[in-house]
Amino acid sequence: MSDDSAESRTRRLGLGATIMVSFALGGLLLAATMAVGTYLTARRYLIEQRERTATRQAFADAAYVRDGLLTSGAKVSDVLGAVSPPADAAVLVRRGNRWFASSLQVSEKDVPAQLLVGPTDRTVALTWQRTPDGPAVMVAVPLPAVNATFFERTSVAELDSTLTALRIVLAVFAVITSAAAAVLGRWAARRVLAPLDEVAAAAAQIAGGSLEIRLDSTEDPDLATIVASFNSMVDAVNDRIRRDAQFAADVSHELRSPLTALMTSVAVMDGRRADLPQRSQQALDLVKRDLDRFHRALQDLLELGRMETGASGLLLSTVDLSELVRHAADSMNVPPELLHVPPDGARTSVLADKTAVNSAVRNLLENAQRHAGGVASVVVRTEHGHVVISVDDAGSGVPKEDRRRVFERFVRGGSRGALPGAGLGLSLVAETVRAHGGAVWCSEAPGGRGARFTIELPSSLGGDDG
Amino acid sequence: MTNGAVPVATSQADPGGWHDGRTMTQVLILEDDDGIRTSLRMALEDAGYVVSDAARAEDALAVVADGTVDLMLVDLMLGGMDGYTFIRRARPESDAPIIVISAREDTADIVAALEAGADDYVTKPFVVQELVARLRALRRRGPRVGDSDVARDDADTLVLDSREPELVLDGGAGQVRRGGDDVLLTVTEYRLLRELASPPGRVRSRPSLLEAVWDRGFFGDERIVDVHIRRLRTKIEHDPGGPDIVVTVRGLGYRLDLW
Repeated sequence: MSDDSAESRTRRLGLGATIMVSFALGGLLLAATMAVGTYLTARRYLIEQRERTATRQAFADAAYVRDGLLTSGAKVSDVLGAVSPPADAAVLVRRGNRWFASSLQVSEKDVPAQLLVGPTDRTVALTWQRTPDGPAVMVAVPLPAVNATFFERTSVAELDSTLTALRIVLAVFAVITSAAAAVLGRWAARRVLAPLDEVAAAAAQIAGGSLEIRLDSTEDPDLATIVASFNSMVDAVNDRIRRDAQFAADVSHELRSPLTALMTSVAVMDGRRADLPQRSQQALDLVKRDLDRFHRALQDLLELGRMETGASGLLLSTVDLSELVRHAADSMNVPPELLHVPPDGARTSVLADKTAVNSAVRNLLENAQRHAGGVASVVVRTEHGHVVISVDDAGSGVPKEDRRRVFERFVRGGSRGALPGAGLGLSLVAETVRAHGGAVWCSEAPGGRGARFTIELPSSLGGDDG
Repeated sequence: MTNGAVPVATSQADPGGWHDGRTMTQVLILEDDDGIRTSLRMALEDAGYVVSDAARAEDALAVVADGTVDLMLVDLMLGGMDGYTFIRRARPESDAPIIVISAREDTADIVAALEAGADDYVTKPFVVQELVARLRALRRRGPRVGDSDVARDDADTLVLDSREPELVLDGGAGQVRRGGDDVLLTVTEYRLLRELASPPGRVRSRPSLLEAVWDRGFFGDERIVDVHIRRLRTKIEHDPGGPDIVVTVRGLGYRLDLW
């Protein structure tokens, strides 16, 4: 459990998610850069324009004030009263040390020091300032002709709100762009991964034993390589499996004749064992026992080879599994009271290779007898259109993690080498059942500490009769 | 090459009594593997058979020509003439049961050997007791053996087909005749027919025929029955392609219908 959470903590994003996130981040970055650039450009442009307008207005108004003051005897306040600045503007005039304002909203205190140009200065000064009503631009125009300085403050609150609106629009635009990029990324990821899904599905099918599965060839040059590699890999695996199977079959086949001669010779010796000294008899018994093991292992190997050639090697006929199990159990000396087989007439027939299924059942019984303290119970029943055989043993059970592994070749339970038997039996069971389109598994025997091996074969009657 | 053209009477005591009292049962072994042939010879002699052996089919045919062979054990894969050819050549000369000793379990090989005229098969490696059981099953109650049980069981003659020319099963003589002519059945074909005829009209399942004729239990190969039925039909039916004497009962087995 702790392993699981540790794993998930350190788990990296999947390829699809990575592509999607990359697109989203890329989109966001692009949109943000664009937005910021746009904003800054727009802002500068708007500010410059506003400053120009304010300056132009200030010049016009200043000219008017100057002209008014040039008229002899004119009072500053009168001239100011006649100036009609725009609604958002206010005008200040300093003549000598006296200040005159066009409205109450503005006074000499609002004029920052850097704008206090003298009447004889030749430059026009401009500054930005904050007012309670928002930002404002103040322009100072020296009026040397009348020994005065003209100040005009223009409120630019509308510029501020324009920029705020622009910021919002650009931010929204950036968010939408990122989201669109994420969606695009998701789509692209799907597209990129779709062929991989096909590969994965094909690989799963191949792992499931359908070795004839190949990927369809593609026109896409980016995918052609992976498709070709995948297919040639499957070919290679297939070829390897076939060669291994062929090798095993050839070797087993080669052993048939010498083993036959050996077994027959030993049988002759055994028939005349009375002629032999005691020590030779003992040796003969050893030979017989191991020869028997050898014989069984070879038969299992040959049977496995037959299974691996596929369904063509199967000799199918309608077989009543109840009867088969009864015969097998009888020949293996399993006490009849341990058998729970439906009475005659129950529909436990399957379409199967009698010899192969018999070997499978015998192997299960033998496994229980030799490695697991004996057979505890054998049950045959029908269930959902399948005939199910389960063999419970009286052993110590199979640990959960080994329950799949026991069906692999040359795997033995318990301490290594402690038990006789080459460990081909259960793999033969698995191969046989697979070749018949059935299933086999190992579980815990109910109520006991032993193991339960279950074979499930499709009923020849079909349908649900369980 | 070992050529057992001259049958060697075994000096062993006969433990099983597998002879008919006058001549001992003679088995011919055709097998090119020296180890198997020699060990098999010893084992069968110890089991009370008279054994002749051959490594080549040509030599074995010479032994068959003597007409003394009661049973044959034939390996299929031989140098020179192969086992199938041997069986086909030996069949007209002898109705003795032939057991194929095959190193191959391929469906096609076994069926081909049965079609050629073999009666049963064992695959290598086999246990010699099993082989002897096969031999006994096929030898048991053969028509040429003057076994009193057989004679009593089959004293009656049974008209299988009253359409001309009449087909008659003569249990006493252990023969089948059409008109006045013998129909040449092998030992096994004859026993299969007799099994179906007791009584006629009853459906016999493949396993029950396998048990009765070949002494094979539940796990026997039912194709043996099918091939023999096919061979029997070619010999006794008017139209082997549309049989009306030995009829197939779908899903159940075979039935003998009298005409």
